[in-house]
Formats: sequence, structure tokens, C-alpha cells
Amino acid sequence: MSVPMSRDNIVLRSLSQIGDCGLFLLRILASVPRSLRHLRETVRQLWFVGAMSLIIIMVCGLFVGMVLGLQLYDVLSIFGGTSATGTVVAIAIYRELGPVVTALLFAGRAGTSVTAEIGLMRATDQIAAMEMMAVDPIAYVIVPRFLAGVIAMPLLCCVFCALGIFGGHLVGVSWLGIDNGTFWSNMTATVDLVKDVINGVLWKSVVFGTVVSLIAVFQGYTTPPTSEGVAYATTRTVVASSIAILALDFVLTAFLM
Amino acid sequence: MSQRPSYAVGTGLFIVLGFAALGYLATQTTSVANSSRGPSYTVQAHFANIGQLKERAPVKVAGVRIGQVQSIMLDPSRETADVKLAIDQRYNQIPNDSVATIFTSGLLGDQYVGIQYGNSKKTVADGDTLALTRPAQQLEEMLGRFFGAGGAADNLSGSYLVKARFTNVGALSAGAPVKMAGVAIGSVQSVKADPVKLDAEVTLSIDKRYDQIPDDSAAAVFTSGLIGTQFVAIQPGGSPDMLKNGDEMVLTQSALQIEDLIGKFLVSGSSSDKKSPDAGKPDAGSKH
Repeated sequence: MSVPMSRDNIVLRSLSQIGDCGLFLLRILASVPRSLRHLRETVRQLWFVGAMSLIIIMVCGLFVGMVLGLQLYDVLSIFGGTSATGTVVAIAIYRELGPVVTALLFAGRAGTSVTAEIGLMRATDQIAAMEMMAVDPIAYVIVPRFLAGVIAMPLLCCVFCALGIFGGHLVGVSWLGIDNGTFWSNMTATVDLVKDVINGVLWKSVVFGTVVSLIAVFQGYTTPPTSEGVAYATTRTVVASSIAILALDFVLTAFLM
Repeated sequence: MSQRPSYAVGTGLFIVLGFAALGYLATQTTSVANSSRGPSYTVQAHFANIGQLKERAPVKVAGVRIGQVQSIMLDPSRETADVKLAIDQRYNQIPNDSVATIFTSGLLGDQYVGIQYGNSKKTVADGDTLALTRPAQQLEEMLGRFFGAGGAADNLSGSYLVKARFTNVGALSAGAPVKMAGVAIGSVQSVKADPVKLDAEVTLSIDKRYDQIPDDSAAAVFTSGLIGTQFVAIQPGGSPDMLKNGDEMVLTQSALQIEDLIGKFLVSGSSSDKKSPDAGKPDAGSKH
């Protein structure tokens, strides 16, 4: 894989990056069957990118839900509609905040470490050594990290949403005194399984997980083998992931509506 | 698989936790939580108007949910909505002369079907029809009933035009009703500003049936309720001559601005209207 370092047009450079990224995705997908022999490695990566991200995801989900509850209660009390707080918290979290915030956190927490790890492997010639030993680095290093990200992201998003609802309930019901039954019944009356949970939480988080993981492993794999290159690649992972998440969020919302 | 890596258990826990969260979101916080479980039986009801009733809306007795709306279809042969209600098998003691009504939860809430029990000894069974129904109450109709005949009168027998000049029409717009004794007798056809006399020229279109209005009657701009729309009220005079097409009403009373009213109430006569402010008050009081 050639690293496009030519300093011509920024448009051409970004286009070639996107093209390389797409080709890289095809190589990953082609290597998925071979990497099933290294299933244990995938499980280990799932532990690193998924289970180790749980704490930050749970804390952030709780606080996002709490602040939503607080803000919505304040605004809805103008219209005397505080009983709708639970509904709006749930819909806001399921449709937008859950997938987007989880993906941004995931890019910052897991994406960067994956990029830095693969980049350092490249910089210290570990990847070249694997190729020498006839071990396919795509199948052994890249695919487990990619698969782990794709699997972990929806699960993390579900945990985030559940904690968000809990946070909204904590503020709305326990603190501000909305009736518990009203909170839940209004929520269950409005929130739809397909439209909100499946289209919102699941679909978006699977797409975001794929995109963030792809960007992370691609940036790591194609990093220039210097310490500066690794630093740049890590930064680019966060920047590119954030832009991709927010842009794709709009596109997905438009399609899934 | 002889030795189990330490991370494997944690990863398994993580996956289980993720799926548990998904299960919780899907079943406890969505409308799935409301869908009736267990066996149910189907009862039909025909409504003249279902309003905003939707499928899966709750069916309630005494406010308690006993089932949901299964399907809503228009009866092709009649102008009625054919609503199928799926009622939980536990509640099979509903008398067959019960009344099904479409209610609204709260002022802006969703609509649901409420069943009020009758006195019959026989109960409805699967496939039966509840014969007694009450359609959804449209808010507009209710308000109309509350504030007297709502909306403009029908215009079947033709109308004649009368002009009236007001110094202030408030928020009166074309199409607003013209009422006499609270009953709509016509509608406002146009509201124009007179560039010369610097007042508002309102054209009233009054039904031909009401051609016995004395020509010294007064026209006043009133508001239905506190936040309702404005309408023109005609207070009959005592003249033997009647209003004809193209006549102008001389005695008018402008719209009372709520700010003016409050001002008058607090500091008597802070901003007095051109007309006597006392003239409208007893009428406005007796009207509502």
C-alpha cells in the first residue's frame, strides 16, 4: 500500500486517502475468513477496545442523560409539559446523542490507541518481521482490531443509552419530582422499537463502529515509520473520525427517517 | 482451550452487559412495553369519526389499559371507521351494551378508546361488535358549542353586504363570524384600511334569512373567550327600517385591546377609546 505523500492538491490528496481507505477495507474483508483462526486475538482486542472503554462510556452516558433531564425539565416547564421529559430524553439519546457521543468517545479512547499501537508496530518493523515470517499482518493484526471495534461499538452504545435513560430518570424523577409512572408511560407510549432503537441505536452505532475502526487501523497501518508519523496518524484518526461520524450521522438520519 | 486467558471472562461479561442493555432499551423503554401480552380477543366498533386515533392506541376501562387498537379501516359501504380492538383475554366480562368512546388524554395528548360498561347480562365475545359508540370530539366543535354556534353560518340562501367602520378592529380577519345573540348569521368578507378616513372598513356578508336587522343596530368587535378569535357582534337597534345590501352601519364599537382593558381597570381612563368604553362592558359580560 502506497502512502500518498505528494504535496499537490488537497482535494486530490483527500480523495486518494478515501480511495486507499476503501481498498484497505476490501483487503480487510477479504482477510476476515483467514483471521478466524486467530479468534482469541479478536477476543483480546474486544477486551481492550470494548470492555476497557466501559467506564468512560458509562460515566459519560450518565452525565449526558442527567444534563438532558435538567435542561429539558427547565424548557418544558415553560409549556407545562415536564411530563414529556422522559420521552424527549429517550428520543434525543436514542436517535442522536447515544450513537454520536459514543462514537466520538470510542474514537478518542479506542481508535487512537489502535492507531498508535499499529503505527508503532510499523515504526519498529514488527509488521515487516511478520511478513518475513509469512504471517499476514492484515489477518493477524488489522482484522482482529477492526472486528473488535465493529462489535464493541453497538454494545457500548447500548450501555451508553441505558445509562443515559437512568441519568435522565435520576434527575427528572428523583431530583425534580416528575412522577415515576408518568416518566415511563410517556416514554413507552412514544418511543418506537424500530424507528428509535433499531434504526437509531443499532444501525448508527454499527456504521460508526465500522468507520471509526477502519480509520483507526488504516491510519496506523499507513503511518510513516517515524515517531512524528505516529503522532500525526493518531491526531488524524481523531480528526477524520469526528468529521466522518458527524457527516455520516446526517446522511444516516436522512436515510433512516 | 486448556487455560482460559484472564481477559476472556471480562470480554464475555462486556458482551453480556451490552446485550442486556439492548434488551432493556428494546423492551422497557419502547412501545413494546405496552403491547399486550398473552391471549386477546377482537371486538369491533364503528365510529363516525376517529379523530387522531392510531393503531396500537390503548383501549381503557376506568382508565386502566385492557388492550389496544388492532386496526383502523374505513368501511367501504358507509361513512364510518371500522375499528378492531384487541382486548386482553382476562377482561372477558364486558357487557355487550357497553359504549366505546374516543377520548383524548389531556388537552394535547394522544387519543384512546374508552369503554364504559353497560348493564346487559350478556358479555361481548370474540368477533362481536360494540354497537354503541361515540365519535372523537373535535376540539373545534367543542369550542364552537361552548362559545355559541361556531364558525361562519352556511351560505346556502345567499347573503347581502353591509359595511361598518371601526377605529380599531384588533385581530379581526376576513372569514371571522358575524353573530347576533351569539348565533352566527354571516361572516366578515373583507377588512380594509380606509386611506382617507384613516379607519378600518369592514364588509360583513350577512345571510339573506336575517334581513330584519334594524338599520340603527350597532356592530362591535368581540373576542370569544380570553384567547379566542375575534368576531363581529351585532346588537339590534329599534329602528323600523331594516339594513339593506350596501348599507353602512353607523354605530360601531371597536375591538377592546386587553392592554387597554387592564389599563382601564387599574387606572380608570388611562387611554380612553373614541367611543364610550362603558357601552361594551355589560354586553360583553352577558355574552359569556
